[in-house]
Amino acid sequence: MATENHGTVESTEAPGHESGGLPQLQFQHWGGQIVWLLLIFAVLYVVLSKGLLPRVSGAIDERGAKIAGDIADARRLKDEAEAQARAAAAEVAEARAKAQKTAADAKAKASAEAAERQAKEEAVLAEKLAAAEASITTARDEAMSHVRTVAEETAGAIVEKLTGKAASAAELKAALA
Amino acid sequence: MADPMHQFQIQKIVELPTVTVPGLGAIDLSITNSVFAMLLAATLIIVFYAAAARKAVVPGRLQTVGEMLYGLVDGLAESIIGHDGKKFLPFVFTLFAFVLFMNLQGMFLVFTATSQLAVTLTLGIMVILTVVGVGFAKNGIKFFKLFAPSGVPWPLYFLLVPIEILSFLIRPITLGLRLFGNMLGGHVVLKIFAGFVVALGGLGVLGWAGAALALSSVIALTALEFMVAFLQAFVFAVLTCVYLNDVVHLDSH
Repeated sequence: MATENHGTVESTEAPGHESGGLPQLQFQHWGGQIVWLLLIFAVLYVVLSKGLLPRVSGAIDERGAKIAGDIADARRLKDEAEAQARAAAAEVAEARAKAQKTAADAKAKASAEAAERQAKEEAVLAEKLAAAEASITTARDEAMSHVRTVAEETAGAIVEKLTGKAASAAELKAALA
Repeated sequence: MADPMHQFQIQKIVELPTVTVPGLGAIDLSITNSVFAMLLAATLIIVFYAAAARKAVVPGRLQTVGEMLYGLVDGLAESIIGHDGKKFLPFVFTLFAFVLFMNLQGMFLVFTATSQLAVTLTLGIMVILTVVGVGFAKNGIKFFKLFAPSGVPWPLYFLLVPIEILSFLIRPITLGLRLFGNMLGGHVVLKIFAGFVVALGGLGVLGWAGAALALSSVIALTALEFMVAFLQAFVFAVLTCVYLNDVVHLDSH
């Protein structure tokens, strides 16, 4: 079917043409087309190369530069943030160390004060103790001396009662020694 | 059925005087449908890039497309020519955009300027003359080294040099013919298949099935032609870069 139709196409083709060949080979039209083409191409070339293409490439370059700049900015900011984070961490560590030191100092000071106070109290107590002991000793000595006189008196009284005559002090002392 | 070649017929839109150039003959400077298509393509490119070339850091849709096309050609020139590619970028980009817009215009309007042999051959010759100009400007008389690749036993030069010269001279023709042929073929096939739809549609129920088949082919071919329109512009730009690279890096040739 196709070939049949193709045949009719070819047969009707011939009378349509003045020259019988391709319309493109009608050379009387060539000169005008060539002259116009060169003219149009030259104008187009000048307009594109001087005016429009630099704008296009400028926009592309600008975009590339902007993207590169933005990436560089972002990288710089990231580095800065990291440095700040490191500084903050160092500060925290320092503060912690300082706080620990302060706490330790306070503790040491408190315990030193406590020890001092304790020592003072102990000294006072020891003093009191010593005084008490001294007074006890004197009291005892006194009592002991009293005991002797009481013993002498008692012995004298007993001797007087039993013998009817009083023994001399020297005799009593010798008997009790 | 409509004549599939009629779409390529040059028609005058605005009559302008014919200029007679000595040695070249009479040149009709009338604005034809072909000239109009070229003017429209150039205008659209300029309008498009005037709107797309913005300074916005976050691009809109138009700016994204504009920068994508620019980036495509930029990458092409950079990867093929290397560091010197930046110098030729405006030229390659202008070629690419011009051919692309003319090709795509053919997909939306009735006339395709790149299906005119006069246009594509002129573009091809323009590329080669640029290559020759750059070659002489950069290498001086050493430009002719292009035709004598190094590292070959000397008797082979008798064979190699004519082949190299021939292959160089044929470049503008292949450059022009490739684009011309692709555009011509695509649009002819589209027209023929579209003609089938009408012709078969009038043949009754069985014809409708054929017409539906032809219509689906037209749709598929249209998609293909969009790809070809882009691809041929891309190929044109790639080959321009390759030819420029040959003369820019002649020492490593």
